[in-house]
Amino acid sequence: MKGTFVIIAAVLLLVLSFLLFTNIPVFQKGYARVKSGLADGIGPVLETIRLPMRAVSSVVEGYIDLIGAKRTNAELKETIGKLELETQKIPELQSENERLKRLLHLAEQQPGRLIAARIVGEDVMNWFKCVLVDKGRSEGIRERMPVITPSGLVGQVIEVSKWHAKVMVVNDTNSAVDVYVPGKNTRGIAEGTGQTTLKLKYVLKNDDIEPGDKLITSGKDAIFPRGFLLGIVIAVDKNKPGLFSDIDIMPFNNFRKLDEVLIVSK
Amino acid sequence: MIRKLPFLIFGIFLTVCASAVFSSLPLEIAKPDIGIPFIIYGIFFLSPAEGLFAAVLFSLTREALSGVPAGSALFAGVAVALSCIFLKSRLYIESRYTFALVCAVAVLTESFIFLALSMLAKGETKDFYNVLVFAVPDAIETGFLGLFMFILFERAKIRYMGRV
Repeated sequence: MKGTFVIIAAVLLLVLSFLLFTNIPVFQKGYARVKSGLADGIGPVLETIRLPMRAVSSVVEGYIDLIGAKRTNAELKETIGKLELETQKIPELQSENERLKRLLHLAEQQPGRLIAARIVGEDVMNWFKCVLVDKGRSEGIRERMPVITPSGLVGQVIEVSKWHAKVMVVNDTNSAVDVYVPGKNTRGIAEGTGQTTLKLKYVLKNDDIEPGDKLITSGKDAIFPRGFLLGIVIAVDKNKPGLFSDIDIMPFNNFRKLDEVLIVSK
Repeated sequence: MIRKLPFLIFGIFLTVCASAVFSSLPLEIAKPDIGIPFIIYGIFFLSPAEGLFAAVLFSLTREALSGVPAGSALFAGVAVALSCIFLKSRLYIESRYTFALVCAVAVLTESFIFLALSMLAKGETKDFYNVLVFAVPDAIETGFLGLFMFILFERAKIRYMGRV
């Protein structure tokens, strides 16, 4: 009797989860509340665990950094000498830059408020690429906010709980970013592959694009503001059958080595 | 049930630890499903109800710590638990090695259930390649984990749950 009850409960759960998966709003709302409650409980635990982890990894990284430090020191001294010479030209270049900006009437684009966050966790499954950051709803983080680093685009916030937020990285298979090649009239959609590289889709074979071209967000997807660096084109295959070229992109960020990120609040 | 709750909390703690550890590793490695040994042990050695409860709890934790679409981890977890309930009378786990094998097969089954669900519900699965690439390494790693978890469960059962 008890066994039958368990089987019925399991079947009901299967039906419920199937309905959740098909994105029916009625079920989604309640389920999001349950998940958010659980995430609220997990958040502080995750943050606590991450503290000793960070200490251990900084010790290991410190040791690794010591290897070859003498050679690096000599190289850096040489670089400093060169940079000191270069620095003398900076005031002149700055004034030239200001003058040209005024001339072209270019208004400097002010991004939204930037919120610094630290990576505290990673997706526990290999199927998707997402990271957990230590800022949540209480810090003003909301869904669909872009996440960047000084090197380039990281992804977008997909779920927010009280303590932490889930960020879908651009190499996730569900991620798509509208990008363009500056200086050329070429636009496309950069889609995640689940691997290190991304694919640039919907670029016609006669469009002007070649390996080495940098890709920048166009702002036309209404999620990522215009002007964030995404990556560099590493391979273009125009021999593939069909209308579009097969283009591989290497993102500027190494998503395996992210430590801190900036969340752009809109 | 109350006596077994600390074990479930320990399992969830391990899952959260795994998330923190993975983020500090600079390599893309196989990720074991920490919940599977708990679910399998619950169903085969305790009761189906406890196994199902563990399946729901671990699936929800995984969904909270992962970018999986809502409901998919729950569906896969409950489907694995249900399969184990049906196989309980046909499958005999006599040692930690058999337990590890069942854990590994459960992870493989979970991957295929996810792909089938995606195909059935959405008509496509963009994650096909990703899921297939990691299915076997994840299963092997979970199998290894299962070896140690079985010893842990057996010792805990003798020590803390002997009078249940």
